[in-house]
Amino acid sequence: MAEARGLLERRHEPWITLPSFLWLVLLFMVPAAIVFAIAFKPSDPFGGIGAGWTLQTLRSLGDPNYPAILWRTIWLSVATTAACLLLATPTAYFMARTSASVRPLLVLAVIVPFWTSFLVRIFAWKVVLHPEGIVKHALAALHLVPQDGSLLYHSGAVLLVLVYTELPFAILPLFAAAEKFDFRLLEAARDLGAGPLRTFWSVFLPGIRRGLLTATLVTLIPALGSYVVPDLVGGPTSEMLGNKIAQRTFMDRNLPHASALSALLALAVLVPSAFAITLARGKRGDGTGGAA
Amino acid sequence: MKRSITPFVITVLVLAFFYLPICVLVVNSFNASRFGGEWSGFTLDWYRKLLKSPEIWHALGNTFAIAVVATIGSTVLGTTAAFALDRYRSRLQDAHYLLVYAPLVIPEILLGISLLLFFVALKVELGYVTIVVAHVTFCVSYVAMVVLGRLQDFDWSLVEAAQDLGADAFTTARRVLLPLLAPGIAAGALLAFTLSVDDFVITFFVAGPGTTTLPLRIYSMIKHGSPPLINALSTLLLLVTTTTVWLSQRLLKEAK
Amino acid sequence: MSDFIQFENVSRQYGNVRAVDDVSLGIRKGEFFSLLGPSGCGKTTLLRMLAGFERPDTGRVLLDGVDITELPPERRKVNTIFQNYALFPHLSVRQNIAFGPTVARRPRREVDEEVDKMLALIQMRDHADKRIDQISGGQKQRVAIARALINKPAVLLLDEPLAALDLKLRQRMLIELDMVHDQVGITFVFVTHDQGEAMSLADRVAVMNAGHIEQIGRPVEIYETPQTSFVAAFIGDSNFFEGVVEEVTDVEHVKLAIEGFSALRAFNDKGLAKGDRVFLSVRPEKIRISRDEPHAGPDYNIARAVVDDVIYLGTHTLFWLRSGDYRLAVEQQHNRFVLDELPIRWKDEVWLQWHVDDGFMLERYAESDEALMGIPPQRVGEGDPAPAANERG
Repeated sequence: MAEARGLLERRHEPWITLPSFLWLVLLFMVPAAIVFAIAFKPSDPFGGIGAGWTLQTLRSLGDPNYPAILWRTIWLSVATTAACLLLATPTAYFMARTSASVRPLLVLAVIVPFWTSFLVRIFAWKVVLHPEGIVKHALAALHLVPQDGSLLYHSGAVLLVLVYTELPFAILPLFAAAEKFDFRLLEAARDLGAGPLRTFWSVFLPGIRRGLLTATLVTLIPALGSYVVPDLVGGPTSEMLGNKIAQRTFMDRNLPHASALSALLALAVLVPSAFAITLARGKRGDGTGGAA
Repeated sequence: MKRSITPFVITVLVLAFFYLPICVLVVNSFNASRFGGEWSGFTLDWYRKLLKSPEIWHALGNTFAIAVVATIGSTVLGTTAAFALDRYRSRLQDAHYLLVYAPLVIPEILLGISLLLFFVALKVELGYVTIVVAHVTFCVSYVAMVVLGRLQDFDWSLVEAAQDLGADAFTTARRVLLPLLAPGIAAGALLAFTLSVDDFVITFFVAGPGTTTLPLRIYSMIKHGSPPLINALSTLLLLVTTTTVWLSQRLLKEAK
Repeated sequence: MSDFIQFENVSRQYGNVRAVDDVSLGIRKGEFFSLLGPSGCGKTTLLRMLAGFERPDTGRVLLDGVDITELPPERRKVNTIFQNYALFPHLSVRQNIAFGPTVARRPRREVDEEVDKMLALIQMRDHADKRIDQISGGQKQRVAIARALINKPAVLLLDEPLAALDLKLRQRMLIELDMVHDQVGITFVFVTHDQGEAMSLADRVAVMNAGHIEQIGRPVEIYETPQTSFVAAFIGDSNFFEGVVEEVTDVEHVKLAIEGFSALRAFNDKGLAKGDRVFLSVRPEKIRISRDEPHAGPDYNIARAVVDDVIYLGTHTLFWLRSGDYRLAVEQQHNRFVLDELPIRWKDEVWLQWHVDDGFMLERYAESDEALMGIPPQRVGEGDPAPAANERG
C-alpha cells in the first residue's frame, strides 16, 4: 500500500504503535508471565507469596479432585459450544434468508441480550428456576419433577445458563458469515440433485466455515473460563476450574495455587485456539478461505 | 424451491428462550410477592426501595466514573492501535496484532487473576485505580477491533485528495479523516463504556476491600440480598441497554 | 529542453518489483498526454510521482523547469481526478468544490463566487447542496473536475477517471473531457489501460510495459508503426513473422526469407542489412482475402492459406487461416453485399494480399506479448493447432 505523505508516514510508526503496544506488554504480557512464574513459588501463611522456588504447588494439582473438575470443565464447555452451534446455525440461516424488512428486527432481538448485563441474565434464570418460581411450580404440578427436587445447583442448570449466556455470541458471527453467503449456491446444489439436508451439510456449512470457527472459539473459550455461572446456579457437584481459581484466590488466599490452576486453564484454552489458528491458516493457504 | 420450516421454528424457540426469563424478571419486578411464584398484586414498592438505597447510588456513581475514565483511555489507545495496524505492515505490527487480539480470546478470569497477581507483585494497593487500569487493558482490544473494521473500509484516496487540493497533514486530519471516522470511533467508545459498566469478573479480582461498583453490588445482592430489588434494578438496566443498542445501531448506520 | 513536465531517469521499487525502471519522459505545455499500459506497468506510479504521493527512489521530476521531486502534494500546482473521484462523502457538492480554496484560506465571498462559476461551468447549479451519494456517476466526474480546476492547476492528472462508468456514459464523458481540455487549455496527463480512451483523447501517447516506456508518439504513429511486439499486440492485434533479410531491394524496402512463404517484401525504416534476423508485424485488417488469385503487383505480397475458422463480428469478419507454419488473423469488412460471390467458408483455400508498406519490422520482439492479443495466434506445428504453442510463452 502506498503511504500518504505527511500523514502516518513510515517514520511515524513507532509513535502511534508504542502507546498501545507498551500498555499491553506491561499489563497483559507481563501479568501473564507472572501467573506462570508464581505457580513455581511457595505460598506464605499471610496470603502472600513466599520466597524461593518450589514444585510443591504443581504437585498439589495431582489432588484427585482436580482431574474430575478439569474433566467437568471440558465436557460442560464442549456441550455448551455444541448446543450453541446447533441452535445458532439454523437461526443465523433464517436471519440471513428472511426478508430485508424483518432482518433488522431479528438482529436487534439478538443484540439486546448480547448487550444486556451478564449478571442480570444469569439472575433471570435463578428467578425462573427458583424453588418457588413458576417453572418449578408448573413442572411439579405436571409431576415431571418431585415436589422437593431442585432445578438449580447441579450441572444441568450450569449447562442451560451457559448456553443462554453464550448463544448471542455464537449467533452474531454465524449471521455475519451467512449474510455474505450466496444462496443461489443452494439452488444450484438442489438443481444438481442434492437433497435439502445434503445441501445444508455440503454447501451451506462449508460456505460459512469461518463463521463456524469464530462462533466455536467465542463460545468455547469463555465457557472454559466460566466462573460466575457455576458460582450462582451451580452447586458443589458442578464446580468448574474457574470456581477453584476464585476459591484459592479469595477464600484460602493461596495465590501460588490459584496461579497453578490458572496456568492449567491457560493451557486448556491454548489448545483449541492454536488448533483454530492452524485450521484458519491452512484454509487460507489453499486459497479457499477467502479474505482474512 | 420449497424451504424447510425447521430454521424458522428454531429461530422462534431461540427468541423465546432469550426473552422468557427476561419477561419473568420484568413482570416480577412489579409483583408484590417476594419470590414471584404467583401474582400477588401490582406494586412499585421494589423500585421505591431500590431508588432509596444509598448503596446503589454510590455503586452507580463509581461505575460511571470508572467507565468514563476507562473509555477515554481505551478509546485513545485503541484508536491509535487501529491506525498503526491498518497503515503499517511490519514485524512490529505482527507482534502488535497478537497483543491486541490475544485479550479477546483469553477467558476474563485469567485476565483478572493475572492483573491481580501483577498488582500484588508490584505491591500496588487495590482500589479504583487498579480497576480503571484493568478496564482500559481489556477495552483497548475491543475499541481497536471496531475502529480497525471501519478503517479497512476507509477510502484512503480521500486523504490524498485533500492533500492534492492543498490541505496539510493537520487540516486533512481535522477536515477529512476525523469527521469520516468519528462514528466508528464513537461506536468503539460506546462498546468500551458498556463493557466497563457491565464488567464483573475482572473487577471482582482487582477491586480492593470496600471498593464497589454496580456489578459487584448486584453480585452481592444475588448472593445475599432480596430478589425483588434485583428484579427492579435489572429492569432499569434493561431499559438502559435497549436505549444504548438503539443509539449504537444509529451510529453504525451513520458510519456507513 | 522546452518540455513543461520532465521525468529524469526516475525509478521506484516496491519490494523486489521495479514499478518504474529508469524512465525519462517529457510532456509539453497544454498537451493532452496519455500514459497507456496494462495494470502494473508503472503508469499510475509515474502519475503519483507527479502528484506528489510517491517519491522516486532515484531521478528527478521537474515542472516548468523547477525540481519538484521533494515537494509535498499540497504545495504542487497539480491537481488530480482520482479513479473513483475520491469526493468527500461528508460534504455537499458545493463544499467539495470549495475545499481547495477554503483550505487555502481564501476570503469566503471570493470562494463562493468561484464555486458558483464552477457550478455553472459543469451545469450543476441545481445540485449544489446535494450529498455525494445523491448524484450520478457522470455528475461525480464533473464535480471532481470542478473541484480540481477551481485551484487553477498548471497540470491536471487523471487516474483512469472513466473506469467506474458504464460504456455509454464513458463515451459521453470522453467527449466532455476533450471539451474541458479545449476550454481550459492546461496540460492533461491521463492514465488508462484502455487503448480506445488513450487513442481518441490524447495528442500523444506513451505506451508503458513492466516499468519502462515502449514507445511514445501520436496515436496514429503508435497504431500504424508499432516499434515493438508489445505495442503491436497491446494496441489492436497483429500477425508476427520471423525471418532473415534476404536482399535489400531499394532504399526503403527489403526482401525477407520467411519459412513457408515465397519472397515477402517489407518496409525498411530500420536500415537493415542482408542476413539480419527480423520480426515482421502485419495488422489483420491490412490483409485482403479472396478466392481468386489477385493481380500481383510489385507493391503487394501474396500468399496462399487455408481457412481454419470464420467468426462473424458485425462490423467485420475475423478469419483464422493457416499459411505455411503460421496461423494468421485476417479481418475483412463486408460492407458490400455481392450476390454472385460465394462466401468464404471453413477449409476453403484462399489468397492473401497486403501492401509491402503495411508490413513493419519490430525493434524488439517477445513471444510472451502474443498472449496480449484477443485470440493468441499459434504457429502451426505438425498438423493441428499445436498445444505446444502455449508452452512457448
